[in-house]
Amino acid sequence: MKVRKALRVTAAALAGLLALSACGSGGDKAEDGRVSLRVTVWTANEAHLALFNEIADEYKKSHSNITEIKFDPLPFDSYTTTLTTQIAGGNAPDLAWVFENSAPDFVSSGALVPLDETLKKTEGYEYDDLAPATLTLWQADGKLYAYPFSTSPFGVFVNTDLLKQAGQQTPAELIAAGKWNWETVLAVASAVNAKTGKAGMVIRDFDYKGWDNLSTFFTGWGAQAWSADGKTCGFNAPEMVDAMTTLHKAIFTDKAMPGPGTTADFFAGEAAMTVTQISRASLLKDDGFAWDLVPLPAGPKGEYAVVGQAGIGVLKQSKHVDEALDFLAFMTNPANSAKLAQFFPPPRQSLLTAETLAKTNPKLSQEQLQRVVIDGIKTGVVKPSHSGQAELAQQVRAALDPLWQPGADVKAVLDGVCSAIQPLLAK
Amino acid sequence: MAARTDSVAGLAGAQPTPGWAPATRPPFWTTRRRDHLAGYLFIAPQLIGCAVFVIAPLALVVWYSLHEWNVLAGTFTYVGADNYRALVNDPQLPGVLRATGLFSVGLVVFNLSLALLLAVLLNQRLRGTVVFRTVFFSPVVVSLVAWTIVWGFLLQDNGGINALLRVVGIDGPNWLRGGATAMVSVIVVQVFKNVGLNMVLFLAALQGVPAELYEAADIDGAGRMRQFWRITVPLISPTILLTSIITVIGSLQVFAQIAVLTQGGPGTSTTVLVYYLYQQAFQFHHFGYGSTLSILLFVIVLVLTVLQWQMRKRWVFHES
Amino acid sequence: MSRRPSRGVKLTLYGLMLVLAVPFVFPTWWMVTSSFKPVSDIFAFPPKLVPTTWQFDAYRQVFELQPFARQYLNSMYIALIVTIGTLAIASLSGYAFARIRFRGQNLLFLLVLTGLLIPSEVTIVPLFQMFFKAGLIDTHWPLILVPILGAPSVLATFIMRQFFISLPVELDEAARVDGLGRFATYWRIALPLARPALGAVAIFTFLHSWNLYLEPIVFLSTPEKFTLPQALTQFVDAYGGPMWNIQLAAGTLTALPVLVVFVLAQKQFVEGLARTGLKG
Repeated sequence: MKVRKALRVTAAALAGLLALSACGSGGDKAEDGRVSLRVTVWTANEAHLALFNEIADEYKKSHSNITEIKFDPLPFDSYTTTLTTQIAGGNAPDLAWVFENSAPDFVSSGALVPLDETLKKTEGYEYDDLAPATLTLWQADGKLYAYPFSTSPFGVFVNTDLLKQAGQQTPAELIAAGKWNWETVLAVASAVNAKTGKAGMVIRDFDYKGWDNLSTFFTGWGAQAWSADGKTCGFNAPEMVDAMTTLHKAIFTDKAMPGPGTTADFFAGEAAMTVTQISRASLLKDDGFAWDLVPLPAGPKGEYAVVGQAGIGVLKQSKHVDEALDFLAFMTNPANSAKLAQFFPPPRQSLLTAETLAKTNPKLSQEQLQRVVIDGIKTGVVKPSHSGQAELAQQVRAALDPLWQPGADVKAVLDGVCSAIQPLLAK
Repeated sequence: MAARTDSVAGLAGAQPTPGWAPATRPPFWTTRRRDHLAGYLFIAPQLIGCAVFVIAPLALVVWYSLHEWNVLAGTFTYVGADNYRALVNDPQLPGVLRATGLFSVGLVVFNLSLALLLAVLLNQRLRGTVVFRTVFFSPVVVSLVAWTIVWGFLLQDNGGINALLRVVGIDGPNWLRGGATAMVSVIVVQVFKNVGLNMVLFLAALQGVPAELYEAADIDGAGRMRQFWRITVPLISPTILLTSIITVIGSLQVFAQIAVLTQGGPGTSTTVLVYYLYQQAFQFHHFGYGSTLSILLFVIVLVLTVLQWQMRKRWVFHES
Repeated sequence: MSRRPSRGVKLTLYGLMLVLAVPFVFPTWWMVTSSFKPVSDIFAFPPKLVPTTWQFDAYRQVFELQPFARQYLNSMYIALIVTIGTLAIASLSGYAFARIRFRGQNLLFLLVLTGLLIPSEVTIVPLFQMFFKAGLIDTHWPLILVPILGAPSVLATFIMRQFFISLPVELDEAARVDGLGRFATYWRIALPLARPALGAVAIFTFLHSWNLYLEPIVFLSTPEKFTLPQALTQFVDAYGGPMWNIQLAAGTLTALPVLVVFVLAQKQFVEGLARTGLKG
């Protein structure tokens, strides 16, 4: 009967399909000891990836059982979400970069494998060379769960061509005159915008969404997002109110910074100054505008530095934990740390000298490196981080949105932020 | 079956064909049984597919909603109705539901009105309507993400739309950053994308209205508008109902535009239920609570659809 | 309202349509022309409707930054398979529900219809788990199987059923008289007549698959496997800022071919939709 025959054929096909799908797998299964590792990162920058692959190739030479080490860039602004979704689905990478603001969540979750033992017993690793202050965020119960391969201070890149065009003094001159503070900087930025129509100052990656980058600004007022123990909201403290009022005026009255919805990319020549990390130096073109790199301006409470950190850890879910640990130890050993230092300042004290950094950092002068990088790492405050980071960050962001309007009541908005996040901080 | 046999006999000239007349002992596989089997077999793939890919996941979602699932720590603990209690007490939920309601109502009203307007215009027997028809339909085939990205880019404070407005001397608002304008922007982007589909359906319906009715109305001295409301609308009411059901369901599922254009902001003004669900489940990793929100969304869709379907008795002119 | 309007009214109507056409056409126009502009020109004021300098660099970069050709192929072949599969399954089911009497069919139809009510976001997590257990994450299987067998094809079934209901019953009877079994009746008689409905379903289904956004993001993690909507959002610089001209170039590449095909085939499509019997 025709229907029966059609049915039999369909059933056979379906069975075959399901069998095939059950056998086929998306991941690598270790057959005869061959291993491939996947490392999730958030940078798709060619220079960065070239360097990583160079290090990986060297590692593979001495480890023939590793067939592939793949650096998998995930989109920057959804990196943590994507990584966590992969873990949730059981599709975790072997190694992963971790943002400092999600460090508390990852470190305490049990998703990462402790690194101390492997690192300490690797020959020539010199574990004691790691500056203890840089490790605190990544440790729990005395164990190190992720290695802070980058402690990157924030500095100010300046387009000196644009400043001269607007008839303003360069930072070098302002620093020499002892006037390198936010008041002056914002005035200069405002003048640049008035004269040239280009943006004066851009706090990169803020874009009215990434508020944690504002810590590069408000720390100068002695303000903080929350107390050191993470339990008390710092948004409606007087210091923060002062800082935000100044910021609001700079954006909406003085037009020193571009308003919401306006994009200005410093590295494309659309802004005179930008606050960002030194790893962005790779975006500077050799034949572009003349530029300088200087430390953050002083705030009313004096000079300060802010650092961002990035850690790399091994996922417990990985099928090749031992191999991953071994590779991590290799990638972060003294020799490779020196190579990576041109983009990612390591936590190694021996490497944090201007001469060493200058060797691998052709774009920056020794003076710049000393003032911005080394001093910054020594004294810098880390960007805000807290457990339950994703939800907390989103709440702050939503509650801060009313602030980015011309007539906003700064104090009221900040009070609103605190009432929104207090329940979350208490957890 | 009896009625069918009759009509076959009638068709074939009262000569029953072999296979229909019972033999001395009826075979097991009567035509009726064979037909039944064919019926089941034909729908089998769809039914099995629905069972596996729709019903089973739905059941699983209910199961998840009864647990607290921390992804990073890898814990999955049974919490009974806790998530549902949290749902009822969630301080953000009223705002989310309000945003969802505003969005859906705005979208459905705007979409259906515009679709009807365009269909009426295209039905006017003007030359070149085919070109306009293509134009109005074209966004439907353009990739959704591409469309949204282009609009996002045009809606920037220093983007194309404000640039055009400046040319005529208007200072355009910061579309994606103002509370109300953000919602309006997302609605407009979505409507212009899909209105072509409803427009075509209305057009087909309009063309099905017999011309004589209008002629008779002309003779009776009824004006255009009156004819529209008294003749056109009732006669195309089945289409209106159908498109409104589809559009309402669709409006509750709009996700990509919000994700690309506003990320639920400014504040939480464009955080509709589907986006809130995504945040809870995929960004904050509260998979258990996200599942609870999913059930809520499903219930809302179900209730609205049933309501609209019931209304057909009242609003639709005649049933086909 | 199918009488010829007067001249004045005609002009008003044309004017109205022209004005209305602007928001439909302008974004596509902007997308295409901006993809040829240097980045600085894109945000320029006064806005440049046509690029002053034509740069093709963005298009080159589209293919350099991502395996875009591969992704195009992915979207294309997935959509094709899904369309063919859905046509097969939906027409079978639609025919059965419309023309065959079997016990429990109304209940089963309602059961199938529930698929229409469930948004994909609701079922995505359990589906992810299911496919993960089957080892099918980061493959295209979820993007093929779920649309064909799950919720998206239910609309197709609904449309096919509506259409088959509208066919005269005598056709079935005549077929039976000729000794054709059910499948043959479906295959040789009903299906050929169903071309307009099949055409409409094919287009709906193709577009739906072509535009899938959440599912590829959840199920795929290797760029070579991405589909176009996913790929479009990946054109960001190393730190997340959108690369406008490249995104617009990729968007143009995505939209234009489908648009061209539509323009050429739009008569069939629009008429097919109209005759699906969705009107009532």
